[in-house]
Amino acid sequence: MEQIKITINGKECLCTENDYILKVAKDNGIEIPNLCDHESVAAFGACGVCAVEIIDDGNGKAIPKLMRACATKARNGYVVSIDSQRVLRSRKVALELLMSDHEGDCLGPCKLNCPAGTDVQKYLKQISNADYKGAVETIKQVIPIPASIGRICPHPCEQNCRRRFVDEPLSIAFLKSYAADKDLNGDTYIPQVKPDTGKNIAVIGGGPAGLTSAYYLRLMGHSVTVYDSMKKMGGMLRYGIPAYRLPKSILDKEISLIESLGVKLVNDVSVGKDITLEQLKADNDAVIVAVGAWKSMQMRVEGEGLEGVIGGIDFLRDISSGEAETPNLKGKKVAVCGGGNTAMDACRTAIRCGADEVYVIYRRTRSEMPAEDIEIEEAIEEGVDFKFLTNPSEIIGENGKVTQIKLQIMELGEPDASGRRSPVPVEGKFEYLPVDMVIMAIGQTINASGLDIIEKTKKGTISADLSTFRTSDEKIFAVGDATNKGASIAIEAIGEARKCADVVDSFLNGNIVGYRKPFVSRRKDEDVDFTSYEKKQRIAMPSRPADERKQDFNEVNLGFGDENKVISEAKRCLECGCHDYGDCKLIKYADGVGIENIRFTGKKNVAPVERKLVAIERNPSKCILCGLCVRICDDVAGKGILGFVGRGFSTVIKPEFDNPDTVSGCAGCRKCLDACPTGALKLIEY
Amino acid sequence: MKIIVGQGSCGIAAGAGKIKAVLEQSVEGKYPIGITGCIGMCWLEPIVDVYDDNNNLHRYVKVSEDIAKAIAEAVLSSDFAKACEYEISDEDKLFLEKQTRIALRNCGIINPENIDEYVSVGGYSALKKVLSSMTQDDVINEIKASGLAGRGGAGFPTWFKWNAAKQSKGEEKYLICNADEGDPGAFMDRAVIESDPHSLIEGMLIGAYAIGAKEAVVYVRAEYPLAIIRLQNAIEQARNAGFVGENILGSGFTCDFRIKAGAGAFVCGEETALIESLEGSRGMPRLKPPFPAQEGYWHKPSNINNVETFANVAWIISNGGEAFSDMGTEDSKGTKVFALTGKVKRGGLVEIPMGKTLREVIFDIGGGIKEDKQFKAVQMGGPSGGCIPESLLDTVIDYKKLSATGAIMGSGGMVVMDESTCMVGMAKFFLDFTAKESCGKCVHCRIGTKRMQEILTRIVNGEGKDGDIELLEELCEAIKDGALCGLGQTAPNPVLTTIKYFRNEYEAHINNKKCPAKECTQLLTYEIDKDKCIGCTMCAKKCPVSAISGELKSAHSIDTAVCIKCGQCIANCKFGAISKN
Repeated sequence: MEQIKITINGKECLCTENDYILKVAKDNGIEIPNLCDHESVAAFGACGVCAVEIIDDGNGKAIPKLMRACATKARNGYVVSIDSQRVLRSRKVALELLMSDHEGDCLGPCKLNCPAGTDVQKYLKQISNADYKGAVETIKQVIPIPASIGRICPHPCEQNCRRRFVDEPLSIAFLKSYAADKDLNGDTYIPQVKPDTGKNIAVIGGGPAGLTSAYYLRLMGHSVTVYDSMKKMGGMLRYGIPAYRLPKSILDKEISLIESLGVKLVNDVSVGKDITLEQLKADNDAVIVAVGAWKSMQMRVEGEGLEGVIGGIDFLRDISSGEAETPNLKGKKVAVCGGGNTAMDACRTAIRCGADEVYVIYRRTRSEMPAEDIEIEEAIEEGVDFKFLTNPSEIIGENGKVTQIKLQIMELGEPDASGRRSPVPVEGKFEYLPVDMVIMAIGQTINASGLDIIEKTKKGTISADLSTFRTSDEKIFAVGDATNKGASIAIEAIGEARKCADVVDSFLNGNIVGYRKPFVSRRKDEDVDFTSYEKKQRIAMPSRPADERKQDFNEVNLGFGDENKVISEAKRCLECGCHDYGDCKLIKYADGVGIENIRFTGKKNVAPVERKLVAIERNPSKCILCGLCVRICDDVAGKGILGFVGRGFSTVIKPEFDNPDTVSGCAGCRKCLDACPTGALKLIEY
Repeated sequence: MKIIVGQGSCGIAAGAGKIKAVLEQSVEGKYPIGITGCIGMCWLEPIVDVYDDNNNLHRYVKVSEDIAKAIAEAVLSSDFAKACEYEISDEDKLFLEKQTRIALRNCGIINPENIDEYVSVGGYSALKKVLSSMTQDDVINEIKASGLAGRGGAGFPTWFKWNAAKQSKGEEKYLICNADEGDPGAFMDRAVIESDPHSLIEGMLIGAYAIGAKEAVVYVRAEYPLAIIRLQNAIEQARNAGFVGENILGSGFTCDFRIKAGAGAFVCGEETALIESLEGSRGMPRLKPPFPAQEGYWHKPSNINNVETFANVAWIISNGGEAFSDMGTEDSKGTKVFALTGKVKRGGLVEIPMGKTLREVIFDIGGGIKEDKQFKAVQMGGPSGGCIPESLLDTVIDYKKLSATGAIMGSGGMVVMDESTCMVGMAKFFLDFTAKESCGKCVHCRIGTKRMQEILTRIVNGEGKDGDIELLEELCEAIKDGALCGLGQTAPNPVLTTIKYFRNEYEAHINNKKCPAKECTQLLTYEIDKDKCIGCTMCAKKCPVSAISGELKSAHSIDTAVCIKCGQCIANCKFGAISKN
C-alpha cells in the first residue's frame, strides 16, 4: 500500500491509510494515552482517553471534532496534536470521571502515611518469604538506616495500619529493624553506586536528614561530604536518643555502610566557626543544610536561669552518646517538664542516672500526651512519677540553685485546634514540689548561627521551598528539623532528605524538578469490609524487666528472636495496596494529566471481589469498563464468557449467566488478565 | 352512511374499543362500524366520525357510552341534529385545518388494517410508477429534488444516504427502517405505523429499489404492540397483493420484509447500535467510519431511515420532488410532524410545512397554554434537544434556525412548559432519562451524565453549591466532545439550554434555596393564612403525617419540620388559605 505522511506533535511519520493514528504514534515512539486499545482486538473507542485533535486534515482544514486516535485512520497530510489544550482538557475530564468511579487503594495506608513513603507492603511480603536482604533493599530505596529507624520510629504506618480494624496493627517498625539486623549481621545489601558525575555536594549536619541526602546523592554518582559539629555522625539519633532505645553500635554500623559507599564524613567542624557557608557554597555545586533543631525551648517562667535548670537536649547529649561519664543523680529529685518523647527520654535517663525521684510535669492528662504510649508505660514501670494537669509557674531556688518548682494546677477545657482538650489554670491553686533539677523538654528550635546568608521563617527556622527544598539561595537546599515548621520525627526528616536528593540531582543536571506528591486512588477506611479476616494476635516485642533495665543503658527490647513468629507477623498484612500499582495505566495517566483531587465525586459502582474465572480474581469496583476482557475472551480466546450487563452508570462486566461457581467455559488462558489496564483482574495466589 | 371509530393506541386507551362495541350494539347491525388510526387530536379522544348519506362528516369527540348511544340514535334516525351538541367545536377544528398533512396524509382517514382502503386513496401507485418507469438514479434524483432530509432528527439529506448505499459495492444490501421511537413524549412514528402502515411499506419498497436492497427490516420497539400487529398484517396483505416478495409487479425487483422488535433500549435508535441489536448483540454504537452505507447490517451496505422519512417518499414520487420542495424554507423542505404535548390546550399530532414559527404551532394550532397560564419554554427534540424560551417563539421551524437556539429539530417531540415548570427540574428529568439509557460504553457519557444528574439532584434538593453551574457547563462540553454517538453528544443539550436561558432559576436554587416555579418540593414551605382559615380541620384530617394542628373553628398551623410537602392540604382546602412558597 502507498506510503503517506502524517505529522504527530511536530514529528513526521510515515504510514499507510490502513494505519490508525494511535499505532502510527506508537511506531514512532510517541505515546498517546489509551486504556481500551489492544493490539489483539479491533478498535472499540470507549475510554476517550486517546482523543486527539486533527488541526489539519491535509487540506488546510481542521476537523472540528476530537478524534479517537485508536479508531481514526491516518490520511495523507494529517497534522495531529496529542496534547493541545482541548485534548488535555478532554483527557483530564475522562480520567477524572474514571477515577470518580474507581474504588480501590493504589497504595496501603502504611505507605501513604509514612513520611518517607516506605513500601511497607512490599517489604513485609519479602519478610514473609524470609527474604530479608530483599526487604532491606526495598526499605533502602528511601531509608538508609533501617536498623536504627526501626527501633525508634513512632511509626505512623502502624497508626494507620488497616489491620487495626480486624485486631491490631502489624508490628511494622520492629519487623523493619529485624530485617535490617539480619542484614547487618549477615549477607549485607550493598547498593550500586553510579559512575562519578564529578559534581560536589556539601551536606551540613550528619543527622538522619543529612545522612539520607548524602547516601542517595552518592548513589547517583555525586561526590558528597558531610560536615558535622559533633564528634561523631548521627545527630539526634546519637545525641538525643538514649542508648537503651538505640544502641550506638547499630548506628555506627549503618553509618559506616554509608561511609563505605564513598560519602566523606567530616566531624568537629562548625559552620560559622571553622568554615563558612559561603565557602562551602563556593567550593561545591550544591549545599544541603540539615543542621537540625538543637536548642531547647525556654519555658519563660521565673527561675529558668538557676543552676540545676537544664534543657532536655543538653541533658541527654552526652549521656545518650556515651561520650561523657554518666552523671550520678543519686539522692536527687528531678522534674522533667513536657509530654513528648524527649521528655520520656529525659525522665528515663534520669532514672538510669540514679535519681531518687523523677517527676514528669505535664499540663494535660495522659491521653493527650504526644509521647508514644509504650514509652509512657515503660517510664511508669521504671518508677517515674507523672504529675498530670500541672504546669511550671516558677522555679524557686536558694543561693542560685534550684530547690523547688511551683506548679499551677490545671484542668481540661474546650478542645483546641489540634483536637486535644486545652489545659486551663485553676485559679489560685498551686503545688510546690521540692526538686534539685529541672529538665525542660517542651520542644526544640534551631540554632541558626553561621547560616546568615539564607532566609529564615518567622519562627527562626530556615525557609525552604516545600517542593524543591531550595532556600533563598539557589545553590543551597535545606531539609529536616531546621526548616519551615521546625522539629519533627526522624522519618519526616528522612523523607524530605530523600526527595531533596532527587531534586538536587535534577538541579545538578541543569533542570530542577520539584517533588510532587503523586495522585493515587484511595478508599476510606469505613468503606472497607473487614469481616472476612480471621483474628490473629500481633507479635509482642519481648523486653527486659523494669528493675533490671533501669540500672543500665543497654537496649530495653530483646528482639523478636523466633523467625517463624516474625514471618507469621508479616503474613498478617492485609495487602491493602493494589497489586497492579506499578503497571496500572489508569493511575499513570491520571497522575500524568495532573489530577490532584477529583472534582466530580459521586456514587461509585461497587461490588464484591469475585472468583469465577480460572485462576483470576475479578474486582468489579476497580473495573473501568474498557471491555478488553470481554473482547479478548470473545475474539482472541474464542470463549465469549464475559459480557456487558445493564445500562447507564450501572453497566457492569459479568461472566455468563451470573453462575455462582467457576464459569465452565473459562480455559484459564489469562489473556484477559494480561490486557486489563488496571488492577481489576488479579492472578489468584494459592 | 359510514361510521368510523378512531383506533390508534391513544384512542383505545381513552376507551374507543368500548365505544365501538356500544355503537355496534346500538346500530343493531344495520351499519358496519369501521375503524381508522390516529386522527391526531389526543385531547378529544375517543373520536367517532360519521359520514352521512351526503358524505358530510360529523365528528364526535370525547365520546362516552351515552354519547355513543346518542350518535347511534342520530344515525338510525338520520337526524344528526339530535347529536350535534357532541360534535367537535369550530375552535377545535382549527387544529387540523391549520395543518398540511403529507406523512400523515391517510392517518385517521383510512382503515389501516385494509390494504384496499390504502389503494383506493392512490396507495402503491408510486411504487408502480417507480417499477415501471424509473431507474434507481431517477428515484434518487427525485428525492434529491424534493430536499427530503432525515426526519429522525439529524436532518441528513436522504438522497445522499441512498446514493451512498447504492454506490457501495456488493450484491447484498439492506434497507432498514428505524421505528425505535424512544424520546419521551414522541409518538409520530407509532401513529404512522398504526394508522397508515402501507405508506411506510411503500416508501421502504421505493428506497429498497433505489439502493438495490433485496431485504427490508423494520426495527420497531416492542412497546408498540399494536403497531407491530398492524404492520405485520399490512406486510402480509402487501405480499398477497404482490407488492412485497419476489418479482414485484412483474418488474423483476424482489424485496422481502421483516419486523424486528427492539427490547426497549433508547440507544438502539442510534443507527449503529440498532444494527448491533439487529445482529443479536448488545445495543452499543459502533465506531464511524465505516458508515452503514459502506458496512452496516452484517457488514453489508445498508441504509437506515426513520418512519416519517419513508412515509413521505410515495407522496414525493407521485407528486414530484418539486411539489415537496415548494414547501418550507431555503434550508428545510417539505413538512414536519410534531408530537405537541405538555401544558398546551390542544395536544396531538401536528404536521406543518417547514418555515412556520413555533408560536404558530403552539398558539394557533395548539390553542395556547392550558388554564391561560404564562408560556415559559418549549422543549424541542426530547432528551437530545433543548428548550426555547418565550423570547425566541418567533423562530421559524427549520433545521439551521432551531439549531442556532441550542435546541434541535429532533424527531418531533415538542413539550410545552408553563410558568409552573421548574427548568432545573425539567433538565434533570431529561438527564435522568439519558443517564439511565446510556449504553455504558463511553466514559464521558456513562459517568459524566451520572455526575451531572447528581449535581442537578442536589440543586433541586436545595443542596447546590457555589460553582455547580460551572461544573455542569464543564461536564456538558466534555461530554459533547468525548461521547461517540448522538445519545452522549446531545445529552447535555437540555442542561446547556436551560442554563443559557434560565440561569437565574439555577442561581435561585443554589444561592437562595428557592424554586421560582414552586415545583421543587424540598425548597417549598407550606403556610396557612390565619385570616383565611376558618378551622374546618379538613387539611389536618388529610395530612398524612399529622403536621397540621389547630382547634375546630380556629386557625390551623403547619409544623414545617414534620411537613413532607405532599400538597394534600392545598388540594383539600376549600378556602384557599394554604400557600406554598
